Amino acid sequence: MRTRKLLSLLLSCLLIASVMPIFGAGAREADPEIVLTWPCIWVGQDSKADMIEKIVNEFNEEHAGEIRVIIEPQPDYDGYEDTIRTRLAAGQAPDIFTFKLSPTTAAYYSGDLLMDFTDDLTQDGWGYTFNQGNINASTIDGETKSLPYEIGFTPIWYNTELFAKAGIDEFPRTMDEFWVAADKLKAIGVVPTSQMTGGTNSWTSMLWFTHLLGSFGGPEVWERAWDDPAYEQAAAILKRLYSDGNTTRDAIGADAGVSGGHYQAGRTAMFINGAWYIGNIRENSPEAYAATKLAPLPQAGDYYGHQVGWLHTNLGAANTDDPARREAVITFLKHLTDPENAKRVSLDAGSLLSIEFDLGPEDEIDPLQQQFIDAGNQAEFLIDHLEASMPVDVVYEFGQAIGAMVLEDRSPAEFVQMLEAVHD
Amino acid sequence: MKKLTKKTNRNLKWIIIFLIPVTVLLIAFFVYPIVYLAFLGFMEWDGISAMSFVGISNYTRTFGDSVFQTSIKNNLIWALSAAFLQIPLALVIALILAREPRGWRFLRTVYFLPNVISLVALAMLWRAMYNPEFGAVNFFLSQLGLEHMTRNWLGELDTALPAVIFSYQVYIGYFMVIILAGTMSIPKTFYEAAMIDGANILQQERYITLPAIRGIIVTAGTLAVAFALRQFETTFLMTAGGPANRTPVMGLYMYRRMAGLRYGQAAATGVLLILLGVVVLSGMQRIFGKSDAIEDAHQ
Repeated sequence: MRTRKLLSLLLSCLLIASVMPIFGAGAREADPEIVLTWPCIWVGQDSKADMIEKIVNEFNEEHAGEIRVIIEPQPDYDGYEDTIRTRLAAGQAPDIFTFKLSPTTAAYYSGDLLMDFTDDLTQDGWGYTFNQGNINASTIDGETKSLPYEIGFTPIWYNTELFAKAGIDEFPRTMDEFWVAADKLKAIGVVPTSQMTGGTNSWTSMLWFTHLLGSFGGPEVWERAWDDPAYEQAAAILKRLYSDGNTTRDAIGADAGVSGGHYQAGRTAMFINGAWYIGNIRENSPEAYAATKLAPLPQAGDYYGHQVGWLHTNLGAANTDDPARREAVITFLKHLTDPENAKRVSLDAGSLLSIEFDLGPEDEIDPLQQQFIDAGNQAEFLIDHLEASMPVDVVYEFGQAIGAMVLEDRSPAEFVQMLEAVHD
Repeated sequence: MKKLTKKTNRNLKWIIIFLIPVTVLLIAFFVYPIVYLAFLGFMEWDGISAMSFVGISNYTRTFGDSVFQTSIKNNLIWALSAAFLQIPLALVIALILAREPRGWRFLRTVYFLPNVISLVALAMLWRAMYNPEFGAVNFFLSQLGLEHMTRNWLGELDTALPAVIFSYQVYIGYFMVIILAGTMSIPKTFYEAAMIDGANILQQERYITLPAIRGIIVTAGTLAVAFALRQFETTFLMTAGGPANRTPVMGLYMYRRMAGLRYGQAAATGVLLILLGVVVLSGMQRIFGKSDAIEDAHQ
């Protein structure tokens, strides 16, 4: 009897003790080494994964016993954004993380969750290693609470071999020429463009739409109201891109993997994506990679020669009252954004970064990446894409509005109304 | 009598001690979140800045949104499909397997197998199968000479929702196992007596099996409807609510509000989802089970 009682008491204590760690989480033991966790999207198959891991490992070796950065792999883009958003809402910002700065995520700057780099950037010339336009874009109300890292720049990709097979000598200069080229491509069994309405942002089609919007509305188009004719004109062409076999049968509902996969497999002749995709296509589809050239959108409206370019990824860090921890974060971020390391990431992955670095004769730059640089230099003006310019509700609705316009045969005006309706 | 009271008091003490951990967990992870959800539903909050009280405007805004109205409709379609498609299918299979035909154990495992595979993996598999260009569904239709029936299953207005719901029917194995367990616990002598009386198989099922497992069927139905009402992952992964906002469910609608940093409206949607669940499940209990279904199942 006594043993049973004792056993019961022990079991009760064990049950209660088992839930205690839940409430005791967060208590940290004193440790001379500062451990920083970085939930990181650049892992797995991502083109920057290898070099980022190498740079982090080098940092950890250099600061052994003092600072250690641990990468928490998060290979899914949407899942990553959910994780960051949830952790910030819970007041538990990761030590280091990345995010896309947009009208919605600008809310992250309010409060004191994020570390403010404004003063740090003025010291030792750190701030001058970044593109100043990108630093300005990352500064809200005088506070730079995130560091610009990757630049998004997305010209039209086209497959020169498929164009040649269809008898098209050069990339069309006007939309009339574009439709003629599209018919020639269809005649040889090639689908002209990759499109998609899936994912959280309908990536490829969102970029086509932004290019079109730039051509109709010019560089300041995002500052105009929804009743500006440019939106409707761009939507009308987008609708046509989804009609008459100008895109693949699976475009409605397709995600970025499908859209890019069609281009890589040579089923579509035109596609849009950023320089970060170079590593992927070079490795998986060398033929498509070798045949790819870049171009601006054929002229649809009054403007021509623009490109879609924006600040793609910012580095953020959790604010802390601990000076040593703060110093550790700054030390790591300075290491990561060091021009030499930025150059290594850029050359290895093909990405374009906000950090300015010099290229020497010994640096081998990828030919497609060189095309990106040339296209950037030749651009008449840059326009932010829809995701960087509009609240996330509009971005989500964009794919649904395309579906409605194409499947329900709604007019371009109704397409614009759908976007306007969700825009607060 | 005195001794009995003393023993009861002693037992009560131990009952309380043993209930403490689960009560703490229940309050921390169930009661508190629901109360907080209800509170948040009256607030405007972006997850970062301070909250502000907005009364019922989150609710009026949500009800006024046509996508939310579609979401409620879709949730109810999901619930109906669970009650009138998933459970009847599971019942038929369970009744067949209960007769222990050759290979029934193997078939039982096969039907249950999807339940041990990640829902995400299965959703991605179905997505690939439905792909209009390379998917297995269109491939087989083409092979059968039914090319005219091939389509973009997840990308067309008429087929997207049925296609997603159909893909979810692979989970009938879960309910089949519950019903099968109940069916196989019916004494064989009942059937032997019925056979002597000349009852055929259908009559045996109609007059012996179904009345005996009525409570279990109601329980399985309740679970199936509850799963359907909290549907999110399959829809999110297969259509993300598209095309043209035809397939959203309330869980997805709530997720979208959170992604837009409108936590107050997301919380209001969560409250409405809970209320819908309470109404639907209470209605089911009222219609199909005079007494508690779970209690019935154990009788």
